[in-house]
Amino acid sequence: MTHVSLKGLTMVRESKSYIDSLHAILTAAHLYDGPKYRLSGLTGMSYKFSVHERLLPLSVTAYGQWGSEHRPAAHNIGLFSIIDAGRTRHPTFRHYQQEAVKRTKLSLDQGVGVMYWLPEFGVIDGYDDEDRVFFVQDGWSSEKQIVLYDNFGLNFTEFWYYETFGRKVDIPYEAMLLESIRLAITDWDTPYKTLPHKDIGSGKLAYDFFVRALEHGDFDERGAVYILNSFIQSRKEIRAYLQEARGIWTEWDHAADLFRQLADLFPGMESCMIAAEGDKRIDRQKTGELIGLLRAAQAIEDAAVDRFRAVSAAYPDRKRSIVPRWGVHTPK
Amino acid sequence: MAVVIPGLKMVIESESYMDAMHAVLTNKGWMTMPKYRLAGMTAAAFRFTVNRRLTPESPTAYNWVAENFLAADFIGVTAGSDAGFRFDAVFPLYREHAIAQIKRAIDSGIGAIVWKDRFVVAAGYDDERQSLFISNGVSEELEELPYGSFGMNASPYWYYQVLGNRIELDPMEIYRESLMQAIHKWETHDPMLPEADYACGRSAYDAIINALRNRNYDRDGMRTVTRAYAAAKRDIRRYMETLELCWPQLKRAASHYASVELSFREAARLAALDNELTEEANRKLIRLFAIAAQSEQSAIDVIKSFMRETIHIRKHDIALR
Repeated sequence: MTHVSLKGLTMVRESKSYIDSLHAILTAAHLYDGPKYRLSGLTGMSYKFSVHERLLPLSVTAYGQWGSEHRPAAHNIGLFSIIDAGRTRHPTFRHYQQEAVKRTKLSLDQGVGVMYWLPEFGVIDGYDDEDRVFFVQDGWSSEKQIVLYDNFGLNFTEFWYYETFGRKVDIPYEAMLLESIRLAITDWDTPYKTLPHKDIGSGKLAYDFFVRALEHGDFDERGAVYILNSFIQSRKEIRAYLQEARGIWTEWDHAADLFRQLADLFPGMESCMIAAEGDKRIDRQKTGELIGLLRAAQAIEDAAVDRFRAVSAAYPDRKRSIVPRWGVHTPK
Repeated sequence: MAVVIPGLKMVIESESYMDAMHAVLTNKGWMTMPKYRLAGMTAAAFRFTVNRRLTPESPTAYNWVAENFLAADFIGVTAGSDAGFRFDAVFPLYREHAIAQIKRAIDSGIGAIVWKDRFVVAAGYDDERQSLFISNGVSEELEELPYGSFGMNASPYWYYQVLGNRIELDPMEIYRESLMQAIHKWETHDPMLPEADYACGRSAYDAIINALRNRNYDRDGMRTVTRAYAAAKRDIRRYMETLELCWPQLKRAASHYASVELSFREAARLAALDNELTEEANRKLIRLFAIAAQSEQSAIDVIKSFMRETIHIRKHDIALR
C-alpha cells in the first residue's frame, strides 16, 4: 500500500498521554471496548505518579523506564505488544529506525495504530509512501503532525520509543483486578524509578517531592499545574475504576471508599490554581493550603494501598516471588 | 519448509551467553576474533553476580533482555529479543511471535539465540516436524526443540534473541567503552536483583567469602559459580593482554587480572571435587577469593585511572553512553 489513513481513530488528551493513545488505538482496532478510566485502572497506569524536584512538566511521563512500565500494562489486559526504544544518539539507532518504519507500516496495513513518542505519547494513524511520511495525532490539535520516515524517532528529547500491538488473550476479570492493584502497590513502594538519578520521586515519595517544591517555592509554573491536573485526573480514574468493581473483596471496597474521600479534596486543590496570562498557575497565596491537601491525599492513598495489600496477600503472586530476567536496569 | 544453517555449532568455553553469541557471529562471518575478545568488548565477561547462597543460577541471574541487547549494541550489532515467564497468560502469543522471528533469522542465514536451560543456538527448523534444531554445546548433534516446547525450561523463563544488522564501529572506541562498563559493573548493584539475596561486582567477593565462612551455600551452585567465573576471568585476562598492546598504561591491570585468573582457576579446581569441602579446602578457597578480590580491585583502579576523563564527563552516570 502506498497510503494508509486509519478511520475511526481519535486520540484525545485527558489522561496520561500513554493511556489516551492506547485507548484510541485499541478502541479503533476493536481490541478494547470500554471507558478510558477502566483501561487506565486495569493497566495500572492510573496509579503512576512521579514528580521532578522542580516540578518540570516532564514529570508526568517520567514514571520509569517505559519498556518496564508499559509491558506489564499491556500484559494485564492480555495484549501482545512489541516495544522498541532507546537513545537516538547511539550509533545503532539508524538500523532500529529502519526496522521501526517497516513495522509501523505493517501495523497500519493491518489496521492498528502505533504508539509513538513525540513527545509525549501520540498515535501514528497513517502513512504516505510517496511523501515518505507518517501522520501522528498528539491529542491536542486536530491537525496531524507529520514525521518523515527518515526522522522517525527523532525529537527534542534524547529518547525514541514506539510500540505496536497484536492479538489478545482473555484474562479473567478478577485476575486483572488483582494484578492491577499489585502494579499499584509496586508503584507506591518504588521511590525512584529512574535510577541512578534521584531528581524524580515516584509513588508515595512523589507527594513529598511535590510538597517540598511548593515549600521551596522555586518550581516550574507550567509543570506544577500540569502535574496537579494530571494527578487529579488519574485519581478520578482510580475512583471510578475501584467503584465499578465493588462487591468482590471487602478490602477493595474500603479502598474505593478511601478514593472517594480523596476525591473530596479535588475542588480545594483546583481552587489553588488561578488564571494568569491566558494560562493557569499555582496561586502563591495558597501554597500552604495546597500542601495541606496533598499531605491529606498522601495519607488517604497510603491507607488505600494498605487495603490493596490485604487483597493481594490472600493470593499467591508468582510474578513477584520469582526474580525475573528482564525489567529495570541501569540505562547504558 | 526446513532449513539448517551449515556449520553453525556452539562450543562451551565461556560458560555463558558468549558461547552462543560467538557461534552465531562467527558463523555469519561477522566476526573472526576469538571469543575472549568478544567477551571483553561486550563487557559480558565483567559481569560478576552471585546469589548469596551461591546457587547455580548465579551466573545467569541478570537482565537478559537489557544486558544481551547491550552486548550486541556495544559491538555495533542490532538485536531483537524478548523474554518472560512461561506461566504468563500472554505467553502463547509471544511464543508464536518468537518462533516466527527465529525462523525469519534462520531464513536469512543467521542463527538465533534461545534459552533452553542455558543460552543455546537455534541453527535450523523444520515446519513439518514443527521443531527448531538446537546446538547446545553438550551434544554433538543438533537437538530437536518442538515449537510447542519453546520456553519450557527448568526455570520459568523463556527468552530468545535474533541479531539483525551490523555497523562498523571503531574498535578502540569499543575497547574504551568496555572498560567504562567494567568499572560500572564492579561498583554497581544490578537494580533487577534484590540486594538481600544477590551481590554484584566487588560485593560479590564479600558474598562468596561470607557464604564459605558460614558454610551456608549450595554445593552444586558453588561448583557452577566458580567454574563460570573462572572462565570469565580467564577471558578478561586475555582481553586485557590485547588491550595492553594498544595502551601500555593498562599493563598493570592485565597483570592483576592474571592473578585473578590464577586464583579462580585454583578455586574452580577445588570446588570441582565431588565431596563436601574439607575445612582446609574451605579455608583455602576463602584465601583465594580474598586474593582475587584484592587483585581485581587493583586492576579496576588502574582502569579507572586510565579512563578518568571519561569518568569525569559521565560523573552522574558512568555507564550511560
